[in-house]
Amino acid sequence: MFLTQLEQKTSNEYLTQGYIIRPAADLKALEWIRNQFIYLISEALNIKSNDKPEDILNYIHQKVAAKDLNAFRLKIINGFNALKEFREMYFRVARPYLECLVGNELAMQLRVNLSIQMPGDDSSLLPIHADTWSGDSPFEVVAWIPLVDCYRTKAMYILPPASSKELNQQFINYSKNSSEDLYKLIKDKIKWLEVAYGEVLIFDQALPHGNLVNDELETRWSMNCRFKGVFTPYGDKKIGEFFEPITLRAASRIGIDYRLPKIK
Amino acid sequence: MEERVPQHVQNLVIRNYCERNNLQFLLSATEYAMKDCHLIFEQALLELPKISGLILYSLFQLPKDTDRRKAIYEKILHQNKTLHFAVEGLHASNQKEFEKIEIIWKVHNVLKLCIKTLDSDKC
Repeated sequence: MFLTQLEQKTSNEYLTQGYIIRPAADLKALEWIRNQFIYLISEALNIKSNDKPEDILNYIHQKVAAKDLNAFRLKIINGFNALKEFREMYFRVARPYLECLVGNELAMQLRVNLSIQMPGDDSSLLPIHADTWSGDSPFEVVAWIPLVDCYRTKAMYILPPASSKELNQQFINYSKNSSEDLYKLIKDKIKWLEVAYGEVLIFDQALPHGNLVNDELETRWSMNCRFKGVFTPYGDKKIGEFFEPITLRAASRIGIDYRLPKIK
Repeated sequence: MEERVPQHVQNLVIRNYCERNNLQFLLSATEYAMKDCHLIFEQALLELPKISGLILYSLFQLPKDTDRRKAIYEKILHQNKTLHFAVEGLHASNQKEFEKIEIIWKVHNVLKLCIKTLDSDKC
């Protein structure tokens, strides 16, 4: 492969552990994103706060009850997805890493997702799953960007590739069990991913991953968005309805328009 | 489109789109079943002066022919209306937005020629 030394190193890390964690490629873009969230939260809760952004986010559970969380989350999601520049800013935070791991002709999910996991709340749990098990393309990666420092149960876990391969081989024995049984089977092999604000996680969503009840004292805020090569196979999430090309190159622009001259 | 979604389901998706986007749903129009037929759609375009726009279930219901699609975009642009696509959650009312729709269309067309799966069970 004609990869540079840095590309090779990054690729090897991703292939071996199923993820990379790197500093945000564009910190100004990330700060812009976080500022939008603070604005949206202030609007949603009709509050004016001089607290630091990290404190507003980390302690949102003091202002939003668990029963109101989903409505609040949807309001915030609709708010930031309505911002024209939001997705481009999101892309900028992870761009060079996505270009290294996926390619430079990328398709991006049309709407960025948001997870808010408050301490002790079991209503926003994601049981162990691999997105490919739901029909997603194995050619997709997830760029996961926290708005606060995430650690231990305030973060997410992933099953490393070697253990995931073992699980795939044994899956037929467990296919009639529940996802909870599946978790018990692999819980000693999972890795909790520590990702600080200012960093970006890119992970292979074909690896089993999930979260547990947040036992820490702070609320997790994290965004996630899928990227894939424009011309790589799509799963259930199709171009147009879920993905759109964001960095189509000139040669492809010419190719998709090209027609041979007619001779009759 | 490769598979036909039942008409009543398409209507539900379109109505849901209207609700989410504060659009007033006026009337449903069903295209003739003949392949690549857009007669009813062309008729609906004639109603544009009286309405703010049209909603299609999916952008892939637009004509496969590039020139026909461009003619539709021109009609919408000329009358300052909006074309909505419910499944994709997209809309277009200016040149840039229609260019985006066109790129999605053309990439979608090319994907038929690309590798679809590496799953050996499906080969």
